[in-house]
Amino acid sequence: MSRKPKLLTQIFQYAFLFVMLIFALYPIWFVILASGREGGRLFTLDLAGMFLPTEWTWENYQLMLSGDPYPFLTWMKNSAVVAGFTTIFCLLVATSAAFAFSRFRFYGREVGLILLLAIQAFPGVLSLVPVAQLLSAMGMYAKLQGLVIAYVMGNLVFTTWLLKGYFDTIPIEIEEAAMIDGCGPVQSFILIGLPMAKPALAVTALLAFMGGWGEFVLASVLIPAPDTSRTLMVGMYSMANNFSVPWGYFAAGSVMTIIPVILVYTYFQKYLVGGLTLGGVKG
Amino acid sequence: MISWSGRKKALMLLAFLGPTLLGILALNIYPIIYNTYISFTNRNQFHPNPDCSDTLTAILEPSCWPMFKEPSGMGQKYEIVDPFYKQYSDLLGELLTTGGLLAIARCLLIFVPLYIASKVNKYYDRQLTRSVPSIAVWLLGFVGAILFFFIFDIPQAIASLQEDSDFFIVVFRTIFFVILTIPINYIVGLVLALVLNSEHIKGRTFFRAAMVIPWAASTMFIIMSLIWQFFFRDQGTVNQILKNIGLEELTKTWLQDPLWAFAIILLVNLWFTFPFTFNIILGSLQSIPADQYEAADVDGATYWQQLINITLPLLRPTVLPAIVLSAIGAGGFQMFGTVWAITQGGPSRGAGVPGATELVMVYAYKQVFQYSAYAKAGAFAVIIFIFLFIMTLYSLRMTRITKGAYE
Repeated sequence: MSRKPKLLTQIFQYAFLFVMLIFALYPIWFVILASGREGGRLFTLDLAGMFLPTEWTWENYQLMLSGDPYPFLTWMKNSAVVAGFTTIFCLLVATSAAFAFSRFRFYGREVGLILLLAIQAFPGVLSLVPVAQLLSAMGMYAKLQGLVIAYVMGNLVFTTWLLKGYFDTIPIEIEEAAMIDGCGPVQSFILIGLPMAKPALAVTALLAFMGGWGEFVLASVLIPAPDTSRTLMVGMYSMANNFSVPWGYFAAGSVMTIIPVILVYTYFQKYLVGGLTLGGVKG
Repeated sequence: MISWSGRKKALMLLAFLGPTLLGILALNIYPIIYNTYISFTNRNQFHPNPDCSDTLTAILEPSCWPMFKEPSGMGQKYEIVDPFYKQYSDLLGELLTTGGLLAIARCLLIFVPLYIASKVNKYYDRQLTRSVPSIAVWLLGFVGAILFFFIFDIPQAIASLQEDSDFFIVVFRTIFFVILTIPINYIVGLVLALVLNSEHIKGRTFFRAAMVIPWAASTMFIIMSLIWQFFFRDQGTVNQILKNIGLEELTKTWLQDPLWAFAIILLVNLWFTFPFTFNIILGSLQSIPADQYEAADVDGATYWQQLINITLPLLRPTVLPAIVLSAIGAGGFQMFGTVWAITQGGPSRGAGVPGATELVMVYAYKQVFQYSAYAKAGAFAVIIFIFLFIMTLYSLRMTRITKGAYE
């Protein structure tokens, strides 16, 4: 593959890359441009204004941050709280299960692991009603705690599989040596398993946090109102799903939501790709 | 291996697995049981309330449990319908008649040439020399499938199935969506990975980093979908660009046109998923040892021969599981959020008929949250679940993703 291709091939390759680059980046670039304009002026743009920042104002950002008429910062805080607690509980619950599935031998282990995956095939949209009923019976409906519970439980299977795959790649000899020295299963989990699984834990935490931050369907059903207890995604959707929507404000909110995530992803890209293909998720 | 037994082991297992099992029971298994039960009842907007004197209802309805007991609402109570499979027979409509079964059989017939082609190829693979290249056999298979498509008049068969059942309309549409979206996403990912894997391209690191951005943004799919929707609105970006470059006659209300709406969903789904497919394929390209290509170069193989005989076969073990999982996952058969944000299932084709982009999950969501047709949606969920359950088990077997579980 080291031969240098013909000129024509090269032109095609660069043309393809260029088209894909525009395709990949234009939507994001457009949001950034739109966030610097007054809402109504998005509809009367000249060609240059579609691609270049011909004018710039911070008004939209100021309005979004001022909390009136949209409690943007409250939405953001809600989302951060929900995603943060989801990450913590998800790791607490799933690591021990993953460790058990990886290290212990018990009746029904193989079948259990496969059933876990197959059960996930139930369409999530349709378990919304029972979940909402369960939560409302427990008095957790329309509360952030209920949303955290739903997210943690919904993430369990994926997280367990991901971590189990990683635990499988850690050599068991270390734990066996520790066991000869009198280390029990709980100690070997806390003192050996957890520290060795740090890379996988980091990836799992990142994915769980992003999942909680960006989730929309459950949040929209479980927290219908009021405006101030909504999460970011539901709030932004309610803002845009209105025909008189001030797109400049929406764009400013989107930029403040998306850019941090893009930075985190770009930084962790290597680990994410590696983490997803670790152990069990790989073929 | 940890070797204790008896009660201590059971307790230890419970401590490690208990919380996870509890969560899965509450959020995965309970909804399945509940939906199955509801699908045998007549719960809809006219019969919304549970009848707590019924034993099964009292067990399955949280609002009937003693610790959470609530005064029930004013509406009619739902009960098990007679016959109990009424929701299913309503949904499946003509399927269980002779005509319906014949139509299904005709649809399945078009897979026969493809099946024969794969068998013939397997036979040739066992021979020492191949008299016919595998591509030719596959081509013949495809030609056969297309011939069968016209001989057996598949469009008519599909139309007859869809006649009085929403179910088949949305299921066929979703299958059509998956058949289009998965190849598009993976072919774009493959071409991009092949180009960015060749060493002479300048700025590879930059391009790779840039291609991750849609992936990051896809975690907030709802916002990005709304922005894509803005592009195609009446006063949206696409129409404005067309106006500005003097092509005003090409402007249209894109999302009101069934074909364009469908194409836009495909495009947006491509935007969300191609970084993932690109990264998966690139990772597996880089794990192909270079000496394979050197040997092929020595033998004088062209680029295309190397692609077909080395690269693609070696990509298969990694890419195939990913394809199957995306086909049955949220980017394929279970697509919901993107469609919901962009078209909400529309454009509508008249009252009571599913809209042009109403895929299965959108249809189910609308049945529950717009029409309160819980029982119908429950039956729908059970049928889809059985299908997806079988597909998942099959794909696990095929791809040996669970290899680790058996060691």
